[in-house]
Amino acid sequence: MATDSEMVFVLPGDGIDASLIPTHPKRPLRLGPGLRHIPPSTIVPTIAGQLVTDHKKNSLWVEYNGGRYIPAVGDLVIGQVDRSAADFYYVALSDYSSNASLPQLAFEMATKKTRPNLATGALVYARVSLANRHMDPELECVNSSTGKADGLGPLVGGMLYSISLGMARRLLMRKSVEEGRVVVLEELGALGLAFETAVGRNGKMWVNSEDTKTVLIVGRAVKETDEGNLTVDQQKKLVRKLVKEMS
Amino acid sequence: MPREAEPSLNEKAFFLQALQDGHRLDGRKFEQFRQLDLQFGDQYGVADVTLGKTRVLAKVSAEVTVPYPDRPFDGIFTITTELSPMASPAFEVNRPTEQEVLLSRLLEKTVRRSNALDTESLCLIAGQKVWSIRVDLHVLSHDGNLMDASCLAVVAALRHFRKPDTSMEGETLTIYTPAEREPVPLSWLHTPLCITFSFYGDEGEMTLVDTTLLEEQLKVSSCTISLNKHGEICQVAKLGGTPVDAVSLVQCASIALQKVKELSTLLDQKLAEDSKRRNKGGLLAELSAENAR
Repeated sequence: MATDSEMVFVLPGDGIDASLIPTHPKRPLRLGPGLRHIPPSTIVPTIAGQLVTDHKKNSLWVEYNGGRYIPAVGDLVIGQVDRSAADFYYVALSDYSSNASLPQLAFEMATKKTRPNLATGALVYARVSLANRHMDPELECVNSSTGKADGLGPLVGGMLYSISLGMARRLLMRKSVEEGRVVVLEELGALGLAFETAVGRNGKMWVNSEDTKTVLIVGRAVKETDEGNLTVDQQKKLVRKLVKEMS
Repeated sequence: MPREAEPSLNEKAFFLQALQDGHRLDGRKFEQFRQLDLQFGDQYGVADVTLGKTRVLAKVSAEVTVPYPDRPFDGIFTITTELSPMASPAFEVNRPTEQEVLLSRLLEKTVRRSNALDTESLCLIAGQKVWSIRVDLHVLSHDGNLMDASCLAVVAALRHFRKPDTSMEGETLTIYTPAEREPVPLSWLHTPLCITFSFYGDEGEMTLVDTTLLEEQLKVSSCTISLNKHGEICQVAKLGGTPVDAVSLVQCASIALQKVKELSTLLDQKLAEDSKRRNKGGLLAELSAENAR
């Protein structure tokens, strides 16, 4: 996380203080999104946001909210099937951008005869397997080393909500409560609502439940948290209000 | 040409299920508008309408021109709409979509053909000089229900607008600058406003007002009713889509009347607030050259 609880914000073109750059005896320095390396040793931010460093991994990146989703290898995304061709599904990751391709055999247990049949407009939860700058990204719904789905695959039923990229990142953090400061989902679960969610790094969240009302409550709670940039206490209050309103 | 992004199958199915259970996605009632905000600019004739995430700006301008030869006593009144790529990537410059054409035609029918603005009062010298009033409508952000928001913006801007004062002495026409004489409002006859209803279900049995973009994309048909607060209907447009019961149309009309009354009250109140803000020290009445008849 950030250096000693003090947040560092950068603007494009700012100089980065040498003391902020992590030094690791063995690992090479890794630059994440929003930073550019100008040889020999200058690092310049290309976007405004919070500078985050990870000393263990010897990496450095800029955390920002907004903009268009740019695929990166390993990201979990929710895509919408645009059309299907002989061997591929063409999947839209965000509106008005070029499609990603998803091989029809990249599903768990899929063979030429048993591949899933996805109609136009169906949703899939997938991992980005290839992302180069000037090429359309490629997706997969199966772990290629184990052959297991790991929870990826077509999403049936439920509702899709658009959220900001920053919110999606916060929800996907390993410790979303401590680091991301989002408690809505935990609070809703604690109040006895049963639902399942899938969060795509491309700013999409899928919510499913037996009960329509539960889906609506979850969707509204997350969207309002996102749009209002609510604090933990405000989120708790919002959840109580929504549950009371809908029951 | 960019295509509008279609909602997914999951969204379609869930949305209809929720409607059948009596819920809207944002928790509103079926006949409830989103948060509506109306602001006037520093200049006369600028109105900025925010309806949820939809935002529309209307600007009125006036110039003196030659009238059309077949209508020598009528001023010229035009409304131009522009859906720029700023509002949604599906819009392109200089290539009007069907939606844009429908929007400008409906505004035309609602405001112009209902004679809300008395065009004869815009005549200065018959056959030679008339005022040409032009309304430019810009859609700044598109999240559904452009029709109602645009109509409110156009009407509000026109009612807020003041044109320069003029006088005729013999053969000479004088147009006064705002410093010489306080500009005068347009001669406005009634306030028509649009209310759009969207229908859902196989036979259009569910009706929503003030739809968001997603709701709008999933409708089976829609109907726009324009009327003023006295209940005088200017136009009804139901362009294609699933046929709808006569009974539900009548219901829509009565809801529309109630909504228009609310909107008119809001508009009157905002106009009054704005004129109070401008009229510091109550000097405006003295500056005006109009005599109180």
